[in-house]
Amino acid sequence: MVRLITHNILACHAKGCTQNNFPLQFKDASIELKEQEFNPDFLRNFLSRLEWKALVDTARELGDTSLPLEMPEMIDDEFLKNLHHVLLEIHVEEGAMICPNCGHSYPISNGIPNMLLAEHEIG
Amino acid sequence: MPTVQTVSVSDSQPQDYENEHVHAVYDEIAPHFSSTRYKPWPIIAQFLSSLPTGWVGLDSGTGNGKYLPLPADRPGSVWTIGLDRSRNLLQIARKAGEGSTIREVIWGDVLGHPWRDGAFDYAISIATIHHLSTHARRRLAVQRLLKCLSPSHGRCLIYVWAIEQDELSKRTVPTESPAENGGQDVFVPWVLKSQGQPKRKIQPETDRSPIPTSQDQEKVFNRYYHMFAKGELRTLVCEAAQGMGLQIGNQPEGASGVVGIEIVQDDWERSNYYVELRRWECS
Repeated sequence: MVRLITHNILACHAKGCTQNNFPLQFKDASIELKEQEFNPDFLRNFLSRLEWKALVDTARELGDTSLPLEMPEMIDDEFLKNLHHVLLEIHVEEGAMICPNCGHSYPISNGIPNMLLAEHEIG
Repeated sequence: MPTVQTVSVSDSQPQDYENEHVHAVYDEIAPHFSSTRYKPWPIIAQFLSSLPTGWVGLDSGTGNGKYLPLPADRPGSVWTIGLDRSRNLLQIARKAGEGSTIREVIWGDVLGHPWRDGAFDYAISIATIHHLSTHARRRLAVQRLLKCLSPSHGRCLIYVWAIEQDELSKRTVPTESPAENGGQDVFVPWVLKSQGQPKRKIQPETDRSPIPTSQDQEKVFNRYYHMFAKGELRTLVCEAAQGMGLQIGNQPEGASGVVGIEIVQDDWERSNYYVELRRWECS
């Protein structure tokens, strides 16, 4: 269950990989949709923390086109519901996340992403 | 009950040492360990209750994830992502709390940093940094926490085990041969009994479960801890911050281009030392 709210924070931490190491790209993602309680107050306050382009691009790669390319100025309920779904209800259960810079692959299994690196590989 | 024994740590292969005496042990004892760790400590619960709605945080060394569902009075108002080195504990942490809510967890190491710098509004590190076997590694773990926090407002709470034990604590701690910085390196035994193993919620994934033989009715796992001396955690935090160019103290008025941390709380509670801090920046 890497959800996009978490994916929007994750970046590659391999040695020497300091540029263009975000967002990680999903590969062979198998997705499950799970309902989650809608919390508009959380979303409104959380909004400014998002890397918007990374979120929209990744959602589109996973087949969800409900979010606009630019963050809207008017935050209405319809928008928040779409955002809620994209951030919190799409679970990537299996697959991998690939660093766009160095190509390192972080596997996802049983919904848990493996972000471990050997100590000498950490930047 | 087996007693705590002092150990001396060789500096040469700290990662291998921790693999053997921390990570492997937690993977083995995960279900039993989790069944004994369900009650949130009040100061940590209070810290999580004080966070504004919409904040995102990291629980670095989340264990069985008991802090992931908090705050209990405003569930869902903040979003805590749990990180741990033990895959078997994470399986439990995913389902922490009541109901069928799935928690967000990451398999990783507290010395890693697989996120955008400054992406978190808060971080907690509870009973985790004391499992690192050298001072340099404990300092690096604090630096990873500081770096993941928002430079303008990030808040952090760190708990470690203290040499100074609560009188209610079941453990007695030998205090000869203190390690570097006044702390104490010890093995703390975890006893898995062959019968009456309490509440096995899930089976460990790996097939390395320590099912004892007929002669061996219980299996003892020794976990490595660095028990902190009084003042040691604060010193560690300050050293870590200064090593990153952060000032220690209140945010100065009228300054510019300065970054720092303010120590909000620094105390002892129930056999643990804790430090709460807040990052600030003058732009």
